[in-house]
Amino acid sequence: MLLNGVRAAAVAGRAGTRFRGGAEEREQTMAVSLRESVERVSDPRNLDASVEEVFRLMLAIECKREAGLAVADMESVTAVVGFGGVLSGACVFRSGAGTAIKIAARMTGMEFEDIDNTVKDGIGEICNMLAGAWKGKVPELAANCGLSVPAVITGRDYNLHVQAPEFQLHHGYRFGEEIFEVTIVCDGLQ
Amino acid sequence: MSEVRALIVDDSSVMRKIVERALRQAGLDALVVHEAATGAEGLEVLKTKPVDLILSDINMPTMDGLEFLRQIRAQHLAEGVPVVMITTESSEEHVKQAIQAGARGYIRKPFTAEQVKERVLPLVQAA
Repeated sequence: MLLNGVRAAAVAGRAGTRFRGGAEEREQTMAVSLRESVERVSDPRNLDASVEEVFRLMLAIECKREAGLAVADMESVTAVVGFGGVLSGACVFRSGAGTAIKIAARMTGMEFEDIDNTVKDGIGEICNMLAGAWKGKVPELAANCGLSVPAVITGRDYNLHVQAPEFQLHHGYRFGEEIFEVTIVCDGLQ
Repeated sequence: MSEVRALIVDDSSVMRKIVERALRQAGLDALVVHEAATGAEGLEVLKTKPVDLILSDINMPTMDGLEFLRQIRAQHLAEGVPVVMITTESSEEHVKQAIQAGARGYIRKPFTAEQVKERVLPLVQAA
């Protein structure tokens, strides 16, 4: 299944639709090229540092990347924030329902029994901060790449598919017994 | 410290609660919070309620935080009230735009309560 939010975000970025980040930002993107810096943009250490920073500062959680981690095919929560501008694509956060509830509880100090709107809002905001922190690691991206409003998907048996991405980072992380995945998909680089 | 009336503008209700908690942790115990999910809602609040401090996200649907700031000035609302932007956008250009639009402070998400204290408390105490 194709996640429409990802494609819509990427296409909108190419077409010049205004992303969160401002119209002025779009005007600047034309003068910046990242084509020759793809190794720097796709450096996996930037993603790890962004995840660790967001979880440490916002949740007081130390999480670490682990190879081979994958969220099982169960009820899961996926948040997507699109990139537009010099880079088009998306940042995708995915976890099981239980992990999402624990993260939201940590953020808000509240208790949740299921995936309600507050949990979805919290996970969307985590994804937003991950996307912002990741693009902030590369100055050209920080200034010339806008972020979409987060979209949150819940359910089971769905897959993220992007045709022929420029690059993709897919990392699994653990804190305590909880695991989650963060993916950066880039399907366009100016 | 005497009562502080704060307007928190963010499209995420969770984020608004986190900012409120950080303000209380910063020592603003007598805090009265007004919330808005968009810049447009924030302007409506300012037309009816006096505030001592405004904290606003930048990336919001309908009316973003920078336009919200410009409209505050254009409509002569909350004159003299310090505005602090709290946002995922961290480039020099965004900071410059926010300062030009009238922001007095800038906090990047993710943030700590200590950062909120360092950047917001002096503005409230000086007001």
